[in-house]
Amino acid sequence: MTRFRRQFILGSLTLIAATAGALWLNAKFNALPNYAFLTGWALLAGMFVLTIYNVRKKLPFLPLGKSETWLQIHIYLGFFTTLLFLIHLNFRLPHGWFEVALAWLFVLVSGSGFVGLFFSRVKPRRLTARGGEVIFEKIPALRHAAKVEAEAIALGPEAKSPAIAEFYAKRLAEFFSGPKNQWKHLLESRRPLNALLAALDDLRRFATDVDREKLEKLAELVRRKDGLDYQRALQLALKLWLFVHIPLTYGLMIFTVLHIVIVFAFSGGAR
Amino acid sequence: MSDQLPAPDFDAQHYARPNLNWTCGHACEGKSCPLGPDAKGNCRATAECKPVLKTKPGETKGRWTCTRQGGECESGPLPDGSCCRPIPKCSPVPTLRWWRGRITLAVIAASCAVLLIVLGNPPWRNNFINPGTISEPHSGAAFAALAATNHLNQNCGACHAAGSTGPRGMTSAALHAQPGILDLKQLALAKAEEPTAIDQSCLKCHAGRNVHQPNAAAISCSFCHAEHQGSKMAATTDANCAFCHGDAAKMAVAKAESGKRKAETITHFATDHPQFKFITEKLRDPDTLKFNHALHLTGTTIPKLPGGEKLDCAFCHQPDAAGALMKPVAFEKNCRVCHSLQFDPETPKLQLPHGSAEFVSAYLRSLPKQYASLAREQKVTDENNFVQQKLAGLRTQFGSGEDLEKQIFFSTATFGPEASIGTLSGATRSLFPGCAYCHEVKSAAGSPQIIKPVQVERWLAQSRFNHAKHLGVTCATCHDAVHSKDTADILLPAKETCATCHSPRGGVADTCAECHTYHRP
Repeated sequence: MTRFRRQFILGSLTLIAATAGALWLNAKFNALPNYAFLTGWALLAGMFVLTIYNVRKKLPFLPLGKSETWLQIHIYLGFFTTLLFLIHLNFRLPHGWFEVALAWLFVLVSGSGFVGLFFSRVKPRRLTARGGEVIFEKIPALRHAAKVEAEAIALGPEAKSPAIAEFYAKRLAEFFSGPKNQWKHLLESRRPLNALLAALDDLRRFATDVDREKLEKLAELVRRKDGLDYQRALQLALKLWLFVHIPLTYGLMIFTVLHIVIVFAFSGGAR
Repeated sequence: MSDQLPAPDFDAQHYARPNLNWTCGHACEGKSCPLGPDAKGNCRATAECKPVLKTKPGETKGRWTCTRQGGECESGPLPDGSCCRPIPKCSPVPTLRWWRGRITLAVIAASCAVLLIVLGNPPWRNNFINPGTISEPHSGAAFAALAATNHLNQNCGACHAAGSTGPRGMTSAALHAQPGILDLKQLALAKAEEPTAIDQSCLKCHAGRNVHQPNAAAISCSFCHAEHQGSKMAATTDANCAFCHGDAAKMAVAKAESGKRKAETITHFATDHPQFKFITEKLRDPDTLKFNHALHLTGTTIPKLPGGEKLDCAFCHQPDAAGALMKPVAFEKNCRVCHSLQFDPETPKLQLPHGSAEFVSAYLRSLPKQYASLAREQKVTDENNFVQQKLAGLRTQFGSGEDLEKQIFFSTATFGPEASIGTLSGATRSLFPGCAYCHEVKSAAGSPQIIKPVQVERWLAQSRFNHAKHLGVTCATCHDAVHSKDTADILLPAKETCATCHSPRGGVADTCAECHTYHRP
């Protein structure tokens, strides 16, 4: 059994046990007059632990345990905190502008977390299956290099074929100018690549032997550029979900603090 | 199918620095400079080297020497000591990390700004933090008027002390809340029924809590009444009711304090709810009208209605506008169609007035004029003779005028004209037998006194009932009218009849609040 599988089974069992325990406690103590206050504090504690994972990442020099362990705790506690959130709401929709906004923030933060978890489980496998490994920050430079190489083949001093030059100007210049087909790469569609390769193949039929060699090099560069776009699309997806998850976490914590102030200022014992 | 991409080539000279906020503007061309931008995003590129002035022994002037990594360049430093190969400046590009940090700061700033703006404006604040619609009694025009009378705030401050303050006051109120913010033990151990601070706000209007039994005053209002749950205040739950009504000790105290007859413990309608009081105490309908439900519904002598339909419950018992209760039965609408007030068998046009004994007496004393008027109406040529004939006919049947009035008021006429219902001249309407046939009539000076019928508007006054919700069952399911011959019978169902449906087995709601209002009438 691999370490990952062992961690997964252990974490899942813990999560199931915690969920069952929380639901049992909810059924047993739901009638307590200040039950919402108690579940609120439990929820806040969970949110706090989830939030300080980001702090932990910024302080790698402190002996706070392995980041991998923190991530596992973050994931399983994220699921459990979502359950606590539903219990805190008593499985009902909130009302009022502030409470709805607070609930939406929680939903967006936890939802983006689930999306991120899904991406981190699926996208790396796809990247591996596609082959190759590129550092995200290197992609612009590699794309630029491919563009320069393609321009040299199609438009350079040694280029003699007006057909290839025209094809490059009409079809390939735009393709090499920047990242393309990002959504289609996320959907695993290879239709744009196949269309370009087919067009290159059509051109090859009427080309001389010299030009055929150039067209084969161009096809190789198109495949490489498409591979880079694929890498960029999937790696960007792996990074962009954090643009929702992290900023909204801070917004959620600000709203949560106000929520605590309001419920204690206004409760006065009301339930 | 897999397309192999170039393996990562880590080049320390062109390190992209993804963990920094800025990256070299030439990185996208694969020509990032070794220095890279500074922390503020400024390009630090100067030249390929920083020449060093070396002075040999005996020389007064030194010589600038190239220090370029990878070997001296061909041209060497310029005479002024600067490098001959300046690196072109770039426009550093922010990394994803920089963008994420900026978005995070923007979200934090936007959150704080929105909250400060909204919380700083009292009307917005009240709407923003309101966790749900307030019930109509606590938010409508009547409450506004009451609040003004009681010198109360008409917004959140009417009930919540912190509602009249700004963010600072709210924070102070939160810090001084009881139980305190971090007083988890007190929060966990608090009893649901214990009066709390907000009860003092309730008492501003509901002084003395005289809306329920006296010993309920020791219970927090919010134990039963949950606000902010919608325009209609949420119904009190069975658990709330059973907290007292299911506790024998509490009910014994209630009995002692209120002087009520009984104090049963009740937990569920179908099981331990007592039988209705009108049955256990054998109450009787106080109505003085003489009415036989069984005869009207099953009697063979009951004529068909003018439309040919058989007389049924719905002919007399019509729902009110809301459909919840029944309109009172009225003579003109429900009785006259069969029960004519025709006292002269030969003169159907003349009808006694209904509603006042004095009017009837006056009418009888003015009979000659009534007949004369009828003669003119019918264009009889000899009016005097017509009147005399009619009066003679009455004298033959009833005797003197005094006898006529006596019979009109007091005759029950069991064997009188009503025996001819359906056969008299082919008519289907009964003749008038006498007021006492339906009413309780007493002798009195002047004209006899007719006891006004009393139709009880509501039995089970502390409960709610809606006929419109019970259209799925027949009238006879609940009201045993076909066996009732006496007006005094209270034709309401027993508890068991209700519990047939209103029970867990019946599947229809059986909560306390389904039927009961909990405030004193």
